[in-house]
Order: sequence, then C-alpha cells, then structure tokens
Amino acid sequence: MTVEVRPLGDKCNIKCRYCYQEGIRTAGNVPTRYDLDAIMATLDRLAEPFSLFGGEIMMTRRPDLERLMQLGFDRHGGVGMQTNGTLIEERDIELFRKYRVRIGISIDGPGPLNDARWAGSLPATRRATARIEAVIETLCREGMPPNVIVTLNRMNAAPERLGVLCEWIRFLGSLGVRKLRLHLLEQDETEGGEGLALTAQENLAALRRLRRLEQELPSVQFDIFAEMAAMLRGDDARTSCVFHACDPYATRAVVGVESDGRLGNCGRTNKDGVTHLRAGREAFERQLSLYRTPQAEGGCQGCRFFLACKGNCPGTAIGGDWRMRSVDCPVWFGLFEDIETELQAKGETAISRSERRSDLEAKMIAAWSIGDNPTLHSLIEQVDAP
Amino acid sequence: MTSAWLTWPRPPLAATPREPVVAKAATQRISFSGPQARSLWQPRLERLRHVALAIEFEKVRQGRIPATLVWTDYDGVDALTEQARAIGLDAKPVKASLGYAADWPPEASIDEPKRLLDYAFLIGARPLDASIAEPAADGLAQAAMRFGYPACCARSWANDLRHGGSDPLASLLARDDKAAMPAHVALAVLGLGPLRHAPCSADCLASREGSRAFLDLGRELGFVEEMAWLEEIADWAVDASLVNGIAEITTATFRCTWLSDEGAARARPLRRAVMRPEKRKAAPGEPADSANILTEFGNGFEAAGFESPFAMRSRFSTVVWEQTAALRRATSAVHVGCREGLLLELIAQTKSKLKLYGTEEDAAAAEAARRRLGASLPVLGGAGLEALAALARLVPEGLDLAFVDPKQLGGRDALAAVRAIAKTVIVIGTDRSLHRFKDMNAYAAAMGLALLPGRAARVSAALSPANDRLH
Ligand code: SF4
Ligand code: SF4
Repeated sequence: MTVEVRPLGDKCNIKCRYCYQEGIRTAGNVPTRYDLDAIMATLDRLAEPFSLFGGEIMMTRRPDLERLMQLGFDRHGGVGMQTNGTLIEERDIELFRKYRVRIGISIDGPGPLNDARWAGSLPATRRATARIEAVIETLCREGMPPNVIVTLNRMNAAPERLGVLCEWIRFLGSLGVRKLRLHLLEQDETEGGEGLALTAQENLAALRRLRRLEQELPSVQFDIFAEMAAMLRGDDARTSCVFHACDPYATRAVVGVESDGRLGNCGRTNKDGVTHLRAGREAFERQLSLYRTPQAEGGCQGCRFFLACKGNCPGTAIGGDWRMRSVDCPVWFGLFEDIETELQAKGETAISRSERRSDLEAKMIAAWSIGDNPTLHSLIEQVDAP
Repeated sequence: MTSAWLTWPRPPLAATPREPVVAKAATQRISFSGPQARSLWQPRLERLRHVALAIEFEKVRQGRIPATLVWTDYDGVDALTEQARAIGLDAKPVKASLGYAADWPPEASIDEPKRLLDYAFLIGARPLDASIAEPAADGLAQAAMRFGYPACCARSWANDLRHGGSDPLASLLARDDKAAMPAHVALAVLGLGPLRHAPCSADCLASREGSRAFLDLGRELGFVEEMAWLEEIADWAVDASLVNGIAEITTATFRCTWLSDEGAARARPLRRAVMRPEKRKAAPGEPADSANILTEFGNGFEAAGFESPFAMRSRFSTVVWEQTAALRRATSAVHVGCREGLLLELIAQTKSKLKLYGTEEDAAAAEAARRRLGASLPVLGGAGLEALAALARLVPEGLDLAFVDPKQLGGRDALAAVRAIAKTVIVIGTDRSLHRFKDMNAYAAAMGLALLPGRAARVSAALSPANDRLH
C-alpha cells in the first residue's frame, strides 16, 4: 500500500495541461489550510511508510514539511516525495539528505519537450523546466539521484521527437538516474490537454522504442516493463497498483492522507471535480464486469492477459467511466504480447499461455465475488499444490 | 436494535437472491463527497435504516401488507426474530446467501459455514406461509399487488421477474438510460424508503403515492424528523447509470455502486460530460521536430566543453539555479564566451529585467547567439580581450555579475579584465573541467583561483575577491 500525504490536496504551482487533478482544481475543491497534527496522528495510526505528495508538496510550509520528513525518517528510516521540482531550493538539499527523502520528479523532457507541463506562459514554463533540470542534476551530484516520472505525450514522444527523448534519457542515465516511471497521458482530462495525447499506435511505438533503449542502458530501468514481465510470470508481489484490481471507491494500493487527516482515495478516478472519501468496503465490481463484458462493449472478455492486466487503471478508463477497461488497452495488449513472446522464447511459460489460465481465472473471479483480492502468486501456489 | 436490513423491493422475489447483495453493497459502497457530508449524513442514513424497518413492520402489523422481507447476518438472527415476536409477528427464514468475506466475523471459519451466510426472513402475521414471497410465475402480479404494488408496477415487476430480472433500478436504467431518475427511485435501493416496491417507470404517479403513504405512516409513528430527511433526499438531483452491469448513483452528498445481474447496457457518455466542471484553457502548442529542438538546445556544446546538448542545457540550468540569490540581487550580468547564448537565455527566463551581455569570439556562434537572444541583448564579437574592452566602453559603470569558464578565458589578463568590469565573477564547471578535476574547488585550485565556500557538489561558484592568480 502506498500512503500519500497531501496537506494541500491538489494545490499546485503549475498547471500541467494534462494533469488528472485539474478537474478538482477547476472545481475549486482545494484546501487552503491543513491540520498537521491530525495528519501526523493518521500517519501514526496507519504505521506504514509514506510519501509526501500533492498537488505540489513543496508548497507546504518548510517547518511543517520538515516535521513530516522527520516522522518518516524516525518511523520508517526515510520518506518518499513526489514533486514537480520547481520549488526545490538549495537549502532543501540538506533536508533531503538529513531525512533520507527518496525523491520522484515529474518532467517530460528538457526544454520544449516539457511544454505540456504548462506554467501559465511559455517563459514561465521554460523557466520551470530549467529549474527541474537543475534539481535533477543537483540531486544526482549530491548522491541522491531522483526517480524520474515521464508522461508520454505529443510534446515529448511524437514520432519526430522520440529520438530526442531517448537521447535525453541516455543523458539522465549518465547523470546517475536509475529509475524512470513512464505514464501514458490521460486522454480525457483538461481541455488544454486535448491534442496532446498520442494515438495508441504512437504510444505503443514509443514504449517499444523505450524498451529497446532500456536494453541498451543497463543502469536505467523503466519500471513498467519489468512489472509487466513479472505479472506474466505470475509474480505480483512488487508490481504497481494498476495491475492489482484497483477499486476506485477504495483504492487499496494508494491511500491519501488529506489536509484534515482523513483518508482519501487515489485521485486518478475523480473526473467530476470531487474527491470522494473512501467507501466502507472494497469491492471488485469493475473486474467482475470487465471479465464478462465483450471487448466491443468496453470489457475484457476473452483477453488472455486479463489475469495480468485486469483492465488496468480505472483512472484511464474509456470515456472517463471507471466501469470500462483502460483506454490504453491496445498499448497494454501489444506490450504484453511482446513480453509474452520473449518469455516463451526463453523457455518460460507466461501465465497468458498457461494451461492453468482458465482455472486461475475462475479462482480469481470467485474470490472477487466475495470481496477478496488474492495475489496471483498465491492462487498459482494453490493450483500447483498437490 | 437488530443488525437487520430491509431490502428493496418488497416481494415477490427474484429467483437469485440479489437483494442482500445489492442493498448491502449499495450501503457499504457509499462514498461521501467530503467530511461534512459524511458527518451529517452517515448517522442519518443509519437512523433511517432502523426507522424504515419499524415502519415496514408496522405496515405488516396493521395488515396493509401480508409480510415483508428482512436480511440479517447470522449473529442478528435471534434479535430479529425477537423484534418480530415482540409485536406479534412471525419470522421465517426463506433464503440464505454467501455474504462478503470482509464482513465475516474474524472468528468465523469454513468449518462453521452458517456464520458466513446472510439470511432472509419473511416477517408476517401468524400463520405465515413462506411461499407467498415466491409464488408461481402465473401468480406474480397478484402477489405483488398483495404486497402493496400498484397494478401498473405489479404487472411490470412480474414481467421483469419472469424474464430473469432481479434488480429493478438496473432494469429501469437498462430500459431507458435517458429518463431523469428521481432521487426516491434511485435511492430506494438503500432500503430506507419511502419507495418500497419496484416501480414500473421512473415517473410512475402511483409509485409516488406509495412513497407518500410511507412518509405519512412514518410521521404517525413519531418519526417526524426522519421523514423530513427523506423528503429532503427526494429533492436531491441524482445521476444514475448502468454501464456493463455496474450501477452507479451519484448525488452531491455521496455516490454508491453495485454489480447488477442486469446485462450490459449502453454506456452513457454524456453523463460525465454534463457533470464535468468548466475546464481551464491552456495555451496551444505545436511540437517542433528533433532538428529544431537540438538547435534550440545549442549546437556548440563540444566547443563549450560539454558532452552533449543535454549536458550543456542541464549544467547551465543548474548554474542559474545555484546562483538564484546572486541573480536576484543583480541588475546586470555578462556571460564571457557565451557561445550560442544558451546560458544568457536561461538567465533571461529567470529574471527578465536583468541587463544582459554576451561576448563571443567565434563569429558564427555569436551570430547564433544574437538570433537566439534578440537585438536587445548585445553579444560582442572579436577576440577575448578586445570584446571585454568593448564591453567596458559599452558599460562604463561596470556589471554586477560575470559568468566565466576560466579554461576558455585564455589567461591572466582576460581574468583581470573581467574582474575590472564585474563586481562578482562566477566560475562555471563544464563537463571537461569537472571530469578532469572532479569538483569545483579542485578545478579552481588548478587554475590558481580560490572560490567562496559552498556545497562540494556545486557546478558554479563565486570567485573569492582575494585571489586572482590565473595559471
Ligand atoms: S486509480 Fe489507477 S493510479 Fe489510482 S490506485 Fe487505482 S490503479 Fe493506481
Ligand atoms: S489488455 Fe485490454 S482487453 Fe486485455 S485485460 Fe488489458 S485492458 Fe482488458
């Protein structure tokens, strides 16, 4: 479970044209104050490692931020932080070191490649981008290389720009960045985001190229490819939320600690400007429905990758309706096929080609029907047991 | 109080016991729109659940309906039968359904399966014939009428049941996804009343009458405040939809969802579009191609001492970031040996009011810098000392900052000239110099310079005023 601390909710100093939180901000549902003691009490109760999140976490008052970092360090030996990097200053570097802050920075590329992360005007956007680039280099030089989160879109991964993106990633590797998380642009968010999304074919082509790049750069890892391979092997212990039958009413993989200390859901499924509180119970209507719904109607019926993919993130569902499968289905399907072929070539059996697939699917469906969400790994062990 | 819950609709019942699943799911899957909504309405909904049970029992006791159906978990069975008996009614188990794993008591085990089930009890006057809730297919409409259904709704529900229907709201939504759904119809699924039967349509007048009768009886029984809440709920705007068999109801206070047995219906794409708040417009943008981008990054990276255009851009960005405070205080600056002007451009983005100058010996690079920076930012050509002399003439009052790579300066005289013009000299570490000397201090020392103290990992630093021995 990822615990995301969000003292200022979705408040952010820049307004990326495609950000999934833009609906909340436009609706004016952003807290202006927070209750640090309540937040810390909730974190105490949860007793889980946590990440400082937002909106933009660096808009939090520094003394309060330091208290949160200290709590993470004292209880869990460190704390994660997800930031756009534009508000990091030199004095923050020592805080990061002192409290072992593991930083994730969102940037789509250098200079114009990052223009979709819009800061209000072109000069402001370019200024913000330069600051992020500076922070990445500084953190690497200080021995704290950040993870970098890149959202593929027309500005950085259109066919005529993909080469530049790859070269920049190569450069990041030379700086010391080890991990990159790739996101596909959520196609249905802000109007400003319209026209920024790549087509499914372009996304797939970009991801395939990046996958080849990963094989050329042994020191850099894109987590998505390794996770997809792990899912096809039935090893889902460490894969991310999108592969774990996410319930948008009570996202298990992501729990938000909001400005007043209450628990919130992952915001990626909030399409109407409202941050709903967690429902009293987790359930798997979406996966049960996708399994039985024909693909032509937005379901996943008959897809051999269902156990691994499960229709992917509900926040990326077709038409913004969490009940449908991911709009990025063709991309996932294509990549799963590539990885499946490679596993088979290496003599490994991908779960999608396994004789046990239908048995495993039946077991998973039965479990979801009564509100249980076992790991794939545990089901495989059950099926394999004599 | 019992842990029992009233389901919707009243009998006659569907063959598959969907009632516990739907009502329980809808209740447990309520997700409030915020803390205030939750603190106000969660206790109210809980209270309404109990009040609805009391009103329904009273209807049965008064003989207005022959019986009602109530679900309970295993631990609530005794309390429920006791509650019925206390008002002279009988309670008979008619169905059982496997509950939700999350609701199972921690001590329950598969060896004692009865504790994993939910049970449906028919509550009615003695002698109670359990078959009245599940009559033969040809008697469904009559049975429905006995249970308080208006004739139109009785016919419609009987028809639904005969076709394997089990979820009246889902079937209404599947039938006509464009009809506005009144709140008392959409939220009947929660088992709180006032609508207790399955209506034939969202705007059935007879069903509205039925709801009114429920509210009246509630008030007669003294539940005045609770009935006012139900009336308030009836005025809510709701958005109800069924997509691929999943029903979802959204109000301003909460949303809830459940998986229905009803088949997949058409998606309602308009729904979201209608609810979406006004969106912010962002600036348009047309991506340039790779060649233009690389030009924008700067072609002269090798001559400037960098391994790639990305390295040069990143380093210059870092220099600007490290020198934020100095730039904030300054009113003017020069980049000596500015190549194609990238550093100056980044500085201008940070502080547009700064008066900036560049010098560059290479004529082509100087020309590229002028194109990049525009006419208002002078880039002086000519050999190093010559350009610096021209700069001194151009800015006789001097400059606040000078950015230099000592390696490119070409000697002691040039450094002296820079120092004569600028109050503070900022030394920049290029890839070439940092690879060779490891860090800024070692680099400066090798050049016979001393830097003001700072982080070991920095890539730029102000020259100490005390030292000007350039090797
Ligand atoms: S909504 Fe998507 S991103 Fe959020 S927890 Fe679920 S799967 Fe993960
Ligand atoms: S690849 Fe597509 S069809 Fe298959 S499970 Fe994923 S989203 Fe569904």
